[in-house]
Amino acid sequence: MIWIGDQLVSEGPGGVYGERMIQGYRLWNPRRSKLAALYHLGKGIDLESHHRVLYLGAANGTTVSHVADYVEVVYAVEPAPRPMQDLIVVARQRKNIIPIMADARRPERYIPLVEKVDIIYQDVAQPDQAEILSVNSRFLVSDGFMVFMLKPRSIDVTRTPAHVAEEVINELSTRGIRTEECVWLSPYYPDHAALICKIS
Amino acid sequence: MNPNEGSYPLLLMKSYWFLDREGGTCHALPHDQRILAERIKQLEGDKTAETPDWEYAVKCGFVKNRGEYLDLLHATALFLAADRIDEESKVDHPELILMVKMLDEIDTVINLLSERSVEWYRALNPEFSRKSEIPRGRKLRDLMRDGSDEALGEILDEIEQLTKRRSTLSGKVSAKAAEFLPNCSALAGGLVAARLAAEAGGIRALALMPGSAIQVLGARNALFCHLSTASPPPKHGLVYQYRGVHGSRKERRGKVARVLAAKLAIAAKIDYYRGESDPVFIEKAQETILNAGRSP
Repeated sequence: MIWIGDQLVSEGPGGVYGERMIQGYRLWNPRRSKLAALYHLGKGIDLESHHRVLYLGAANGTTVSHVADYVEVVYAVEPAPRPMQDLIVVARQRKNIIPIMADARRPERYIPLVEKVDIIYQDVAQPDQAEILSVNSRFLVSDGFMVFMLKPRSIDVTRTPAHVAEEVINELSTRGIRTEECVWLSPYYPDHAALICKIS
Repeated sequence: MNPNEGSYPLLLMKSYWFLDREGGTCHALPHDQRILAERIKQLEGDKTAETPDWEYAVKCGFVKNRGEYLDLLHATALFLAADRIDEESKVDHPELILMVKMLDEIDTVINLLSERSVEWYRALNPEFSRKSEIPRGRKLRDLMRDGSDEALGEILDEIEQLTKRRSTLSGKVSAKAAEFLPNCSALAGGLVAARLAAEAGGIRALALMPGSAIQVLGARNALFCHLSTASPPPKHGLVYQYRGVHGSRKERRGKVARVLAAKLAIAAKIDYYRGESDPVFIEKAQETILNAGRSP
């Protein structure tokens, strides 16, 4: 990862979403991207130039554009048409973003397009997010990592986030996914956790 | 000869987005985004579809190297995504929903501006009282324009303009609704049909709803109040705007709303899945709705 002082940056053509530039690098703001927050907390999987990434919940392509600056190719899955319009604009500038308009719950829809990847990054904020990760783990190489952004408030607002997170970790393990680490993203994102997982 | 050969030809066939591989031979496709995108659509959910193997694409002569493979995949994926957005807007017509939301927002703005103008006028003319018999709408605006502040007069002109825009837009919404929701529009009127679709979150979402949900669309507060406390359930939401509902006697309204909503649920399904008007259905449904309003 590239740091300038204590600022995380990425190298690529700027002006994707009005991000600030520092010495020709694009500032990757931890308050606008949960993945940047994870790196700012000193955790996460370092992105390398040979990595292939499956990105579930690509939205408008803000974080996707930074990931694409670091890795070889990003398969960006997003089901909704409106954010997809923005994502297409980002993907036109960056040839290593492969936009896929599909629901991450139905991976059979994009099996023909997505090869085996080194990292699966998931940020979908849905009640069934654990299941979504599990059905997509088929795309991961056997020693690959999954970075899973967990929003306990999207699963059950009435219980404490820590309790929900524990349950999700248990559910993942029954589905053959081992959680290596659980990182809470405060102060950047209160009540959000990042799980670093592997196939067990 | 191997007995399995020939008897299970499908097992030997592998389909990638860029080529078919049959036994030892492969049939590469042309480098045409349109053709490749069509093929990807066919492969969705196909059991023989394979996770792509770029090395095989090179071996087979489809591309020269990984760089070319990714470039072609990128171009095809962009084409496919744009195509999907297009398809989605063809069935879900997001513009209809945005138009009806715009219409409702213009109403809110007109009401807010009118309220504030009256307050302003009152401050300038203390003898003016809202308790007395005062005109409304255009007549009220004409009254206020006389002998009032110039700035207020200009704002009243703007309200006038907005009112005109509103009626133009309202006509357009009705026309669009008659086109995209022909059956719902015939039963409940274009504006109500469009508002229902907007509240449901799209034409598709409306088509997937049961009648009981359509009946209380737009009565969210009353519905959740009913679910969490012992308050009575709402009889009607947006369907209240249909004259057959708000025009009938109070004790009949619930029944009319229920029957209308049930018929709208069917109409929405015809609109979404068939996309054309069904005169036989409309006639029968209208009769049923009319009967529901009559005293037994």
